[in-house]
Formats: sequence, C-alpha cells, structure tokens
Amino acid sequence: MTVKAFFRSNAFKSLAVLIAIVLAAGALLAICNDVFYISDEERLNRTLSKIYGESVSAQPVELAEEHAQSNYGTVNSIYYITDDGNYLLNTTGVGGFRDGAGTVTLWTVIACEESTDGLRLTGIRKVVYESNEGQTYIGSLTDAFYNGFTQKNELVAAGGYFIADKNSSDALNNVAVGASQSSTAACNAVNAALSYFRSALSGGVQ
Amino acid sequence: MNAKRYGKIAYDGLITNNATFKLVLGTCATLGMSTSAVNSFGMGISVTVVLLLSNVLISLLRKVIPNTVRIPAFIVIIATMVTLLRMVLEKYIPDLYDAMGVFLPLIVVNCVILGRAEAFASKNPVLDSAVDGVASGLGLTFALTLIGVIREFLGSGSFFGMQITDFKIGFFTNSAGAFFVYGICIALFVLITDRVEQARRAKRARELRRPAKDAPLPSVEAEREVN
Repeated sequence: MTVKAFFRSNAFKSLAVLIAIVLAAGALLAICNDVFYISDEERLNRTLSKIYGESVSAQPVELAEEHAQSNYGTVNSIYYITDDGNYLLNTTGVGGFRDGAGTVTLWTVIACEESTDGLRLTGIRKVVYESNEGQTYIGSLTDAFYNGFTQKNELVAAGGYFIADKNSSDALNNVAVGASQSSTAACNAVNAALSYFRSALSGGVQ
Repeated sequence: MNAKRYGKIAYDGLITNNATFKLVLGTCATLGMSTSAVNSFGMGISVTVVLLLSNVLISLLRKVIPNTVRIPAFIVIIATMVTLLRMVLEKYIPDLYDAMGVFLPLIVVNCVILGRAEAFASKNPVLDSAVDGVASGLGLTFALTLIGVIREFLGSGSFFGMQITDFKIGFFTNSAGAFFVYGICIALFVLITDRVEQARRAKRARELRRPAKDAPLPSVEAEREVN
C-alpha cells in the first residue's frame, strides 16, 4: 500500500475521526474542569454546613505535630469555629476491622469554654462520619451511634475516653450492633480528638 | 405532520419502548438507586440529560463517524457527557452527587444510552434524536421514581424524604425488596399497556366496521365477506 492509498483508506479515516473526537472531548473537559473547579475553601464550607446544618465560619488551627499521633489514632486537621468558640477536629481512629488495620475518619466538634487556667473541655457537640478504610459493616454505625458520643458529656468533661466493648458495663461504652471493630475505630477517632484537645489545646486543664 | 411524528417518537420512548419496564435496560442503576424517591428522580433526570446531549451529538456526527469505529466513538461521547454532568453536579448539587455515589460514573455503561445511540440517534436527524432522548429519559425517570416512591414508603415510611408513618418493612430497602417491587411494577405496566392497546385496537376495528353516513347499504354478499 502506498502512502497516498493509506491516507485515502477507511482505516485512516476511522483513526482520524476517533482521534479528533477524543481531542475535542479532552479539550471540552479541560475547559469545564477549570470552570467547575471546587476550591479547598469551598469544600471546607460544605463540610461545615453538613456538620452544623447551617453556614458557619471557621479558621484553621496549626497542628501540633508532637500531639497529633496517639494510641487512639491521628489528628488530621483542626478548625476553630468563630461562631460558637468550639473546635472541629478531623481524626482517624485505628483498631478497626482487618486485624485492627482498618480505620474510621470522623469530624468531632468539641465544646469548650474559657476558664482562668485556659480552655476547659465541656463535652462533645457533634460527631459526623467522613470515611473509612476496610470497614465492611460501617453501615451499621447509624446516626444513633454517632449521637451516642454527645450523650456522655459529664463523663467526657471529667476526663473519660470512650470504649467499644459489648461485654463492658462502662458508662462510656458505645458500640453499634454487629460492628464492634468499626465501633472501636470510631471510638478511637473521637478519643484521638479528645486526647489532642486535652494535651495540646487545653494544656491539661480538665 | 412533524408534530405527529414527534408525538409518535415521544410515545415510543415513554410507553411502547419504556427502557425500564418494557426493555428492562439499566437494571443495575434502577435497583441500586431506587431506595429513595429523591435519589431515583435525580438519577432519572441525570440520565435524561446525558441521553439528550449524547443523542444530539451522535446524530450531528452520524455522517462523519465511520461505521467501523462507531461504538468507540459513541462511548467517548457518552463518557464525556457523563464526566461533564459529574462536574456540574459536584459543583451545584453536591448532596445529589454524594447520594448517587458510584452510580453516577456508571451512567457511561447504562445500556439505555448506548442503546438509543445505536438504535436511533445514529440513523435519524438531530431534532428527532433529541425528542427520542428526552422521551426515553423521561420514561426511565418515571419508572425509577415510581419504584423509588414505593420502596421508600414501604421501607422507610416516608415520601420524598417527608416522614409519613412509623410503619416500615425493612425488606423493601434491601436488594431482594428492590427486585420484588421491580417485578411487580413491570407486570402491572405491561398489563395496563396491553389492556390500553387492546381497547385502542377494538375501537379502531369498530370505526372501520361502521359504515359512512352517505354510503350505500352493503349487499348481503358483501356483509358476508366482511364477517
């Protein structure tokens, strides 16, 4: 086949049309990607609206690396909510399903008030699920489970940490039916937020 | 004349060739997204938009795209439209975007869209294809929303998110319940459309048998032939 014959063949025409369509589609999507770009600030505002049910303003707080890791998990980010003076922490709890390697990431709103010694933790206002790694029964952790973290504020203010143990009668026990390991990771995520607040933000004030 | 043609195309898309109840296409999304009426409606409208855009584009390019590469070309066009829709939903309707989850990108492989592209848009003019896309999409939206309303009411006791009763049957929120409701809906839809079609044919037959007012009375032989 000569070069001229190739350029006149159906094979070349098919290839050219397909490449042209792909290039046009790529160009269109590149433009649209820029037009419909969602900034990090917008994503944060959406998350805050989802957590609070209304639009609130928040300021990022610098993470103290030496306190970010604990036995409970990792603190990923912290925000100070200027509207109510509370702190919003994004934490990943360890000890979930998959031989303890699974994790659950939550948003925890920690309520606090100013005292003579510094910030005093008064309780947990809200816990909202964000994501998980390897948790097959994460669906068993319903709103009732997450609301359970806000029902024990007296014990939390006194320095308690949550546990997920079906056989325990501990007052801070919080476990979802059929998902004890995911519950453990979720409890650890909340505990990581409490631990960070107590060690880094309140400076040990109970 | 055109209005009659568009009416026929629309009727085919909505009723005669209803993608969900008659052709049983796009079942994966139908079963997965119909746990609530709002999600079902959102999915239906999303598919309608993709169907409209892809049908129009494919119809515009039908004389340019060689027959040998038509399927890859259609898939590229459909995938582009779905990606575009994802961007728009994530930007402006994030709740629906989150609710649709994995089913949103899976619209690319929805048989309804590729089916209409191959069977209709690649062979018909732009306006006809647009009408077909909208009608097929609305037919699917109607079917999805109907299943969603039934499953949400029986499974959660609510209607479009509004709690109506505390009476709930958990069966209808899981996969088996989805298949059950889907099957019942198909059976009822086919039953109703068949009855309507039979009645229409019977009426047409009566009209054909009725003599015109000024026509001469038929002879005995002619009447015997008709009977």
